[in-house]
Amino acid sequence: MSSSQSPRKVHLVGSRIRELRKGRRLTQTELSEMIGVAQSDLSRMEQGEYKVGLDTLFKILQVFDLKMAEFFGETESPTTPEARSLVADFQTLSEEAQREVRDFVRFKKQQEQPEDSMPGVPEDEKA
Amino acid sequence: MSDRRKHLEFLRKTAKDAIWSGDYDRALTLYDDGLGLARGWKDRDLEDLFTCNRATTLLEMDRQDFDLSRLKEILLRNPFSFNGALAAHTCARAHELRGEPSRARFYAQTALQKSRDLGFDDILASSYNVLGNLELRESRFEEARDLFEEALGHLQSRGDETSCLAAQYADNLGYCHIALDHVETGLPLVRRAVDLFEHHGARQALDYPCLDICFASVKTKQLEEAEVWGVQALALGKEFARNDVVKNSHYLLAETYSEMGKEPEADEHYEALADFYPNFPALKNYLRQISLMDVINLRA
Repeated sequence: MSSSQSPRKVHLVGSRIRELRKGRRLTQTELSEMIGVAQSDLSRMEQGEYKVGLDTLFKILQVFDLKMAEFFGETESPTTPEARSLVADFQTLSEEAQREVRDFVRFKKQQEQPEDSMPGVPEDEKA
Repeated sequence: MSDRRKHLEFLRKTAKDAIWSGDYDRALTLYDDGLGLARGWKDRDLEDLFTCNRATTLLEMDRQDFDLSRLKEILLRNPFSFNGALAAHTCARAHELRGEPSRARFYAQTALQKSRDLGFDDILASSYNVLGNLELRESRFEEARDLFEEALGHLQSRGDETSCLAAQYADNLGYCHIALDHVETGLPLVRRAVDLFEHHGARQALDYPCLDICFASVKTKQLEEAEVWGVQALALGKEFARNDVVKNSHYLLAETYSEMGKEPEADEHYEALADFYPNFPALKNYLRQISLMDVINLRA
């Protein structure tokens, strides 16, 4: 049985941690000291054998200080200049503004759904 | 058994029941009373016994305000008795909770050896459980699974299949299977633990089993199930002030709602989780887009 694989999210896995570490030119020893685990455990983690608690996982994310586009680099990186610009602008917004943008995008997506796929709307009210 | 000893045994049993039901203050008061009586009667054995039990209660309360060297002294004074094995076991738990796995392993092995040699089944099973927990924290799930099987086997071999301890070991074993992606083997064990804890009224012990079922349900995309158990784990974590349970519950509930497409509900839990990490303002953004399900260990 495999783990949950959300289509909307990128899954952090050991091999990705290794790539990101190498991208930051960090040795296993350096990263393991930064996140407070033994080097041998980090090695096991990169091989997918070692799992950790939330505190350690968040330290890893913090050390890498990822840009989202970078994390999605393998699979879903925006390819057009306009999309890249949008992502860059989004990242400069305040937390509150980012939430408003997300809500607006969600609203627009709902608006663009075909009417007959709207849940909970009786047939005679769709016309 | 003398009347004095009977009275103190009654205190111990009442205190143990109080611990399982989550009434730690009452348990501590009972052990303090017992300790005072043992000292008044100048009964060294009973004083040692209550000293160990009192320390165990403080550890359950996440407190370390007791003299660890006193436990080690009890171990040295009683190399071939129940109190010595119990002191070794309590030292193991103390070092485990202090994040000192090597020392914890040493004392757990000592307790295991003594209890095996002297025939103290309770401590023997519990020592296997401590060793299993130490393996689990380091993601050695197969090794941990074997140790929890030993712990459970020792209880079962003497006819104990329904106690709170049996429930605790079954839950630990079940989590190992779930972490190894053998959900179909692990889930029935955890559900059995829930039934037993509920039967015994051991509410405080239900938090991790609830979390484990939630975790298994997210893995297998049983999202409605995950929501029910996650909500229950969160409530228990808050009730018994266990931050690790609260944080894990928020994370699993957020993942559950995210998988369900309920983004506002997911956001609520991501935000509650991020509140624990005020120095990491970007955390919410990461969690909205990155799943940690493949690298998380709820017991680390």
